[in-house]
Amino acid sequence: MNVSYSQDEQRFQEEVRKWFRENAPAEIIDQTLGGSTLDPDLQIKWHKTLFEKGWAAPEFPREMGGAGFSETEQFIFHYEYSLSGAPRPKTKFISLGMLAPILLQFGTKEQQERFIPDMISGKTVWCQGFSETEAGSDLASLKTKASLEGNEFIVNGQKTWTSMADHADWMFMLVRTDSSGKKQEGISFLLVDMKSPGITIRPIEALTDHAPFCEVFFDNVRVPRENLVGKINEGWKITGTLLEHERLDASAMGELVYAIETVRKNAAKTIFRGKPLLQDEVFRKKLAALEVDCDSLLYAFFRILSQLKIGAAPGPGSSFLKVYGGELYQRVLDLNLEAIGPYAQSWYNIEGLGNSVHQATMGWINSRSLTTWGGSSEIQRTIIATRILNLPRK
Amino acid sequence: MDFELTSEHLLFRESVASFVKKEHSFNRLRALKGDPWGYSRDVWKKMAELGWMGLIYPEEYGGLGLDFTFVMVLLEEFGRGLLPEPWISTVLLGGNLVLAGGTEAQKEEIIPAIVAGDLFVTVAYLEDGGRYDLNFCATSARQKNGGFSLSGRKIFVLDGCSADRFIVTARTSGDISDADGLTLFIISRGASGVEITPLKTMDGRNACILDLKDASVSESDIIGKQDDGYPLLADIIDQATAGVCAEMVGGMDASLEMTVRHLSERVQFGRPIGSFQTLQHKAADMFIQKELAASATYYAVASIDEKTEERSLAVSTAKTKCSSAYLEVTKTAMQLFGAMGFTNEADIGFFLKRAKVTEVLFGDADYHLARVATMKGY
Ligand SMILES: Cc1cc2nc3c(=O)[nH]c(=O)nc-3n(C[C@H](O)[C@H](O)[C@H](O)COP(=O)(O)OP(=O)(O)OC[C@H]3O[C@@H](n4cnc5c(N)ncnc54)[C@H](O)[C@@H]3O)c2cc1C
Repeated sequence: MNVSYSQDEQRFQEEVRKWFRENAPAEIIDQTLGGSTLDPDLQIKWHKTLFEKGWAAPEFPREMGGAGFSETEQFIFHYEYSLSGAPRPKTKFISLGMLAPILLQFGTKEQQERFIPDMISGKTVWCQGFSETEAGSDLASLKTKASLEGNEFIVNGQKTWTSMADHADWMFMLVRTDSSGKKQEGISFLLVDMKSPGITIRPIEALTDHAPFCEVFFDNVRVPRENLVGKINEGWKITGTLLEHERLDASAMGELVYAIETVRKNAAKTIFRGKPLLQDEVFRKKLAALEVDCDSLLYAFFRILSQLKIGAAPGPGSSFLKVYGGELYQRVLDLNLEAIGPYAQSWYNIEGLGNSVHQATMGWINSRSLTTWGGSSEIQRTIIATRILNLPRK
Repeated sequence: MDFELTSEHLLFRESVASFVKKEHSFNRLRALKGDPWGYSRDVWKKMAELGWMGLIYPEEYGGLGLDFTFVMVLLEEFGRGLLPEPWISTVLLGGNLVLAGGTEAQKEEIIPAIVAGDLFVTVAYLEDGGRYDLNFCATSARQKNGGFSLSGRKIFVLDGCSADRFIVTARTSGDISDADGLTLFIISRGASGVEITPLKTMDGRNACILDLKDASVSESDIIGKQDDGYPLLADIIDQATAGVCAEMVGGMDASLEMTVRHLSERVQFGRPIGSFQTLQHKAADMFIQKELAASATYYAVASIDEKTEERSLAVSTAKTKCSSAYLEVTKTAMQLFGAMGFTNEADIGFFLKRAKVTEVLFGDADYHLARVATMKGY
């Protein structure tokens, strides 16, 4: 056990902090609360800037275009990154956070070489086609069908809530290839080119008035057999591992720290009965309580992260980071909105009232989805109860 | 002690409910989203024809002279449907303030026009640096040419984009946070030195920033007595707060109803999700919160009707409870709707946004909690 940084690590921290301060473009700073509502084109551009610096994929080895950071360096990197106020592009999160570890573990050598470098460089944008109208929490009951005809799968059906589908070049998706046995048994994992004929995309407007996700329709879409990941009908096993990665990343520690920092700033600016709200006894305690929760989670995150090696599965422990991190983030943004007082009712009035107000209200609404995507809080608690605590399932 | 509604109240509830059903829908809210006002004058006129603008005003000004419980019934139904028309600002704040403290001439000029649905009036009292305090006022009123000259800035003036008249607080004496020394002035939208910056609120309604730059008013524009506007304002804000609580209760009720329907219909893992015990408990908690909020609101409304001494305490109790309960109920509802709840295509999200706006309207839970502590003597 060692909680202090070495001199090298401190130097590294300085370097990262300085680079972000100098290189994160003003147009993207402070656009991140509650999950990014940042314009996808700006996300892609920012991803490319990170790549040019060699920092697009901190977890990946240098020979693949990654940064090859040690576990501690990764932690420092993410922490400093988030504190700069620069967003983590969703592009990176879906492809590198979820799919890349899967390809490393289950993909063919050809698939790894064909897809991973372009994910790291930001050249290709990916989306995740899991959910369907009738298959949300009950993911295994998905119906989108793929039948093998010669060397091609023919895909028919519909996906929904697909983040960034309208900007993606590729989708990784779950399809039903057999409906005879248990519902988990006939599922396969496919990589699909979004430009394939037969794909129709309909953006769906969220409460933020942005369209962060889409419905995607498949009408006899042809997918080459070589785009199957793992074995046919064995996609469910792969999925379990992937969701653990999604959950680990979703806990987004640095963003939480940044959000708390934002509350502190807003409360210092807000005058209440003649002094800054930050000095108000009730408010101070509310904020401090969140800091304690946040720091505890930070240490838990650090513990799990330090056990992780590239390609290794995080395990069901990731569920607790996801559920607690998401809910804590919501509480932090609740307090952020409380801090700005009457301004909390504002919507889209960036010019008159300043961006911090816009971010506070937009971020608050956005944060409501954190406990839904990637497996809802209820589902995560069931995973903790049954897979960690081994409580009876029925 | 009697918390029951009379048959007149119940009859009135039915007619308001059927009006809301006929004239309003959530799609109307979607259609009005980009509108600078966020409501329609046609619907307002129809409401006026039914006599609702004069609900609590005396008959001599064209009103119906009914008790405050009718306000609760009306606003609960508005809250169920999220009717966006500015009844609270015009009738419960603006007109009510004129009625409570205005001169005969002011009443005759303003109240019948409100009753007819021809005039929108609102109250402007919030300022930067004062959060929700009614007595915090940096806007000054200096004597000039036999009248006054007003300068200052008011923020988040409720329905301010469409108001014809503003009743503003301005300081005629005292320090920035004194209750004494506040005077209420009526000022018209088009008057010189009046600048309006429109704002959109989260729930699609409007508010404005009101800048007064040497705006001239005369002595006859004062409501109540010079330097003594605070008690008048405080009483009317209390009434409006009780009104908004009723609206919040209606919103909670509708949110719970929608959620229960969703829990019964949405199937996952081969069964309605409402059969999962965790979700049943969440729905049960929503119900408990709603019942507490409704009861506190009923008590506040009855206290206003009876003009009891503790009515401010009852109002703050109700608003504290409603502010937290409405948010709790709508956040849980969102959670139980899954991703669907996060879209503008589902109706439930309208309630979450309205819950946030009404939470801060006339003071959030913390503000009212502090008032409760003070009024309880600690
Ligand atoms: C912003 C956002 C982005 C998303 N992006 C993607 C994406 O890119 N790709 C993708 O495939 N999907 C995506 N999703 C979908 C997401 O994974 C699903 O929303 C999630 O799995 C929940 O499914 P559902 O929305 O159908 O809710 P439902 O499954 O209908 O759940 C409704 C409620 O019931 C509860 N519930 C359901 N089953 C149980 C149970 N057994 N026990 C207790 N409670 C239960 C849930 O917790 C929830 O509260 C996204 C969702 C959001 C909100």
